[in-house]
This record gives sequence, C-alpha cells and structure tokens, in this order.
Amino acid sequence: MNNMKKHNQLYILIALLSCLSFNARAQATKNDLVLNLSYYNNNNQSQYVMVHAKSKIDGKFQQIPGIDVRFYITSDSSSANLLGKAITNEKGEAFVLIPPSAKDEWNKSANQSFIAVAQASKLYDETKTNVDIVKAKLQIDTSADKVITAKLLALNDTVWLPVTGVDVKVAVKRLDGNLNVNETETYTTDSTGTVTAEYKRDSLPGDAKGILTLIATIEDNDVYGNLTVEKAVPWGATFQNTSVFDKRTLFARRGHSPIWLELMAYSIILAVWLVIFYLIMQFIKIKKLGRLAD
Amino acid sequence: MENLTSQKITEDLLPQEFGKQGKIWVAFLLVLCAIGAYAYYRQLSEGLVVTSMRDYASWGIYISNFVFFVAISLVGSLITAVLRLTNVHWSTPLTRIAEIIAVSAITFASLIIIVDMGRPERFYNLFLHGRLQSPIIWDVIVITTYFFISILLLYFPLLPDFQILLRFKEKTGKSLNKLYSFLGSFWKNTPAQIKISDKAINILSITIIPVAFSIHTVTSWLFATTYRPGWDSTNFGAYFISGAFLVGAGGVIVAMYIFRTHYKLEKYITNEHFDKMGKILVLLALLYLYFNVNEFLVPAFKMKKSEEEHLVGLFTGEFAPVFWFAITTAMIIPILILLFKKGRKPLPAFIAGILVVVGSWFKRYLIVTPTLLHPFLPMHDVPQNYMHYFPSWEEWAIAIGSLAGALLVITFFARIFPIIPIHETIIENEQHEKA
Repeated sequence: MNNMKKHNQLYILIALLSCLSFNARAQATKNDLVLNLSYYNNNNQSQYVMVHAKSKIDGKFQQIPGIDVRFYITSDSSSANLLGKAITNEKGEAFVLIPPSAKDEWNKSANQSFIAVAQASKLYDETKTNVDIVKAKLQIDTSADKVITAKLLALNDTVWLPVTGVDVKVAVKRLDGNLNVNETETYTTDSTGTVTAEYKRDSLPGDAKGILTLIATIEDNDVYGNLTVEKAVPWGATFQNTSVFDKRTLFARRGHSPIWLELMAYSIILAVWLVIFYLIMQFIKIKKLGRLAD
Repeated sequence: MENLTSQKITEDLLPQEFGKQGKIWVAFLLVLCAIGAYAYYRQLSEGLVVTSMRDYASWGIYISNFVFFVAISLVGSLITAVLRLTNVHWSTPLTRIAEIIAVSAITFASLIIIVDMGRPERFYNLFLHGRLQSPIIWDVIVITTYFFISILLLYFPLLPDFQILLRFKEKTGKSLNKLYSFLGSFWKNTPAQIKISDKAINILSITIIPVAFSIHTVTSWLFATTYRPGWDSTNFGAYFISGAFLVGAGGVIVAMYIFRTHYKLEKYITNEHFDKMGKILVLLALLYLYFNVNEFLVPAFKMKKSEEEHLVGLFTGEFAPVFWFAITTAMIIPILILLFKKGRKPLPAFIAGILVVVGSWFKRYLIVTPTLLHPFLPMHDVPQNYMHYFPSWEEWAIAIGSLAGALLVITFFARIFPIIPIHETIIENEQHEKA
C-alpha cells in the first residue's frame, strides 16, 4: 500500500515537471517579430500610417497575419495619443487613417513621430517600432504641350519651402499599376523642388472621354515618407465600348447566330435532307410500281 | 466463292432460329440490359449523384461510350459506301453486317447521351431551344441525319431479299412472314424497280460519306472547340475519323468471324475476306497510329506548362497503364498480327479485331476524362474524390448494358433478316459463273 502511494506521488511529480518543461519550451520558441512603420499621404487628402509585420520562419522571412497592432501619434504611447488599432492581414499589413481628433497633436510641429506597438501573443513578445517624418506636400501641374511638373514642398516652422534632391516618379495610373510617362524611371527635384517630365504615351487609351490620371509619387523616403499626387488630363485615346449584347455573335443567345453560320448550316442541312426526301419519294415510287405489277 | 446454285445460296442465307448457344447469348445480353436498366432507374430516382461524376470530371464513361458508338457506326460508310463506289465486289457479304453495326451503334449513341443528362425529360428542349452556334446542336442534327441515311442504306438493299424471304413462308414462320410482307411485299423485281433502287443506293452511298465524316468531325469538335489541354488541337477531326474507321473495321472482323462460325457461312465469308479486311485494318491502324504520334509527340516536344500535367499523367502518371494498354491493344499488337499472311487467317484476325475494339473503347475514355481532371486553374478547396474519377457500379452497369443492347439489336436483326444479302450474292454468283 505504501509502495503504491509512493508510486502515485512519483507519477504526479513527473507529470508536473513535464508540464513545466513543456511550458518553458513553448516560451523559449517565441519568434522575433519585425515591424516596419511607414507614413502615407495620398493626393494631399488622406493620410495614414501602415505597419508591415514579418518574422523568420524556417530560415525565411514570412508575412505574419493576425497581429494586433496599436498606432500612436508622437513618441509617447499613452492612450491619449492612440490613433487606432488594427490587425495585420494575410500580407502582414495593418493601417489606420490619421483621424481628425489627432489634429491638435499634428499641428504642434513641422516634424511628426508615430509609434506602432504589436501586442504580445502566444507566438510573439510585445514589439514596438516608430517612424519620424517631416511634413511635406507634392504638387502636380501640366502645360498644353504635355509637359508635367511636380513640386515637393516641406514645412519649415510655418513656411512651405521647396526641397532639393528627392526622387520623384511621374506616371499614368493604369489598371495593374503605374506606367511611366516616358522612358525615364525617376526624376530628382531641382533647387526649386521641381521635376519636369514630358508625356510620351500618345496612344494610351483613356476612358470614354479620353481622360487619363497622372500620378507623381515619392516612395519610402526616409524624411518625408510616401507621398502621391494625382491629376486628370484629357490626353488619352477615347475608348468606345462597342457592346455586342444581343448582336449576332457566336456567343449570342438562340436565334442570334451569325448570318454566315446560319447560311452554311441551313444550306448543308437542307441539301442533305432534300436528298433524304428525294429517296423517300423514290421508295414510294417503287411501292407504286409494285402495286401496278400486281 | 465456289459455284453454288441459287437454291443452295438461299437455303444457306435464310435467317435461322436461335439454337442453344444463341438462346444463352440472348439471355446473357438481356441480363446485362436488365442490370443496366435497374442502374438507370437508380440514377433517375437518386439523380446523377449515384455516378462518380463531379464538378471536374463531368464527362465520364457515358460520353466515352457515346464517342465509341459514334466511331464504330462509321463503318457503315466505309464498307458499304466507299467500297461500293470503288467497285469492290468482294465486300458484298459484309455490307449488311457493317450497316446493322452502324444502325445499332448510332441508336445507342443517341440513347447514351440522354443517359448522361441529369434531367432527360427536358431533352426536347435541345430541339425547341437549341442554339445553332453550339457544336452540341450540330451533333444532334448530324446524328439524326446519319441515323436516317443508315436506315435507308440498310433498307433499300433488303427489298429484293424480302421477295425471296416471302417465298419461304414455311421456313421463316408466320409472324416473320407478316413482317416481310409489310416491309417488302411490293417488291416485284421489275426492271423499273431495280433501276430506281440501284440509283437510290448509289445516291445514298455518295451522301453517307460526307455525313459520316461530319458526324465524327462534329463529335471531335465537341472537344476541340473547347480550350483545354488535350482537346485544343486542330488535328482532332482527322484523328477521330481515322480512329473511327479503325474500330469500325475491327468490329466488322469480329462480327464476320462470329456469323461465319455460328451460321456456318464459310462459303460466303471466306478466308479471303479476312485477308482483305486484315489488310484494311493494318492500313487503318497505321493511319491512326500516325495521328496519335501527331497528337501526342508535338505537344510533348513543346511541353507547354498548361499541357504538361495532362501529358505526363498519360505517359507516366495516373492514366499511363490505360494509355499504354490502349495504344498497344488498339494499334501495335493488331498491326504485328495482321502484317503477316498467317495473322490474316480468320481466328488471328478475329483476335486482332477484338483487341482493336477493346483498346479503342479505352482510347475514347482517355480522350474524354483525363483532360477534365487537368483544368487550367488548380483544383483546390474541393473534396478529395473530386480530383479523381473511377466510374460507380451504376455507370459500369449502364455502359455495359448499352453495349449489350447494341449487340442485342445486331443479334435480333440477324435472326429476322439475312445477314448476308441473298439477292446480291445470287446475282454475283451468276456473273461469276458466266465469267
């Protein structure tokens, strides 16, 4: 009996130790989470911050979905500065628009800091990252001879000043991405903060009125973040949608087949069936001849 | 053919009652048909879910069987029309065999396509609301046309035989006599009747060739007009027709052997017939092999990504055993047997014919189903059984039942009508004697 009690105690001890060691191992296998925070200003209208979460799994960086991220304005992650919360999608991305409630904090200075904090989970520890930007705006203009100018201005105290030496892309918006307006990939702003690009895509189709959308972009700039500006211009070829609905096509409904098909098909059918009817008539003739012979 | 009297020829070729073997054969076929009918009853009451066809393999052995029936029906035009128009007289004893194979096969091709429909009671909508742009409608039109032409081509040459059959009332029986009287009592063998009949047969022989080519070309277009790996081919029409002539000729050799041995027709279906049909079969097998090389070697040489899975599946993958079985039995072995004179004797030619028919049935399955299991977009988020296809017992029963039904039609035809044209044989025998 005593022996059995001793054994039972031993089993409980082993089980407890196993649980503890499993828990410790689970904690030890937590991966490092890498967060990248970026600032976006689209068309000087919508501004947002976006985080990209990734982690090294099986020796490769992979996007991590389902990470609960909180975004703060300024370098202080107190609840008063909370911009919003978001969960990363299958691409590991989460973003929040900068709300009007953050206006006072935004207007305090020409520079701005943002913080993103990924909440601790079973797989990852709490992770924090920040981005500092200088407030800037991009402007776009065109001339009658199809020359596009984009100008970058940055806020200096309370004055907007041109910025020199920043890479700008000038392109046309298309369905699957942006198409450069000519062979040059990027332009660098001059002393007036301006880049000039000549439009050389004359055959590009636009909408029904030939409208195209030009876009100037600054991507992943360490100081200014991501800026875009757009302008609609009537430089495209007019796209006329010729509907074939209810017309005579191979894919139309019954009774709307192409004339050439109907002519071919019905003439063949008619020819063959006329032969068959002729032969049936011949059969009737044979029958009559038989009766006459009787 | 040795010199025989008209009396002897008529006695030899009159339809005979079923013996013990014949009755067992008919009973066996009826049992297969009954099992098939029960399976179809289950399919009608339960729906197409009793089959193994799912979202991807939506065409299975029913459509394979349909293509097989359409293919074998082409033999009517080969033996009757092509050989008649080219003044080949040795084929006379084989014409009716070929024509009844054509008629029974095209009948069951029509029936099996209805079997494949989930709501067969809506079949009439194909005629009422069919779109002329659809190759399916072309197939419906051309099959109906071919059926009527084949019936006429079977019927016109039978007319002189009815007159002979009516003279042997005591041998053929009362009920059959009524049938012969209804179908051909008006035939008096007058010169005017013979002239019209000969002209009609010639017109039919000419008409049936383009219609026969159309029927199988259109069947091939059911596949080739669809952009899918394995079907997207400009070779398909010729590939289907050459294969159809092969299986049809194979079917005729098998039928020749069975009728010859069962009805003791050695004087009419001679070794020479097997020798000549054997040569035709070798030619057709080589032709079909040529089209197969074109059909598979060229895409395999390019090995486009979209076709790779389909081709590798056939050559070395899931379908490889059936693929190589079909190529070997339908073409390679029959060629090897029939290339030699000894191989063109009745028994080896019969074996080669059976191999061609069996191999060709599996070849049709390979044309239809593997393509459906290799769509352009990968299959995902579907149950495992959607990714493979193996027919359910109901599908096997219905397919085998339809084959048995076609054989039953041929069997009953041979019981009721002379399987070798009596009148034509007598005429040719007289001409032979005069010569």
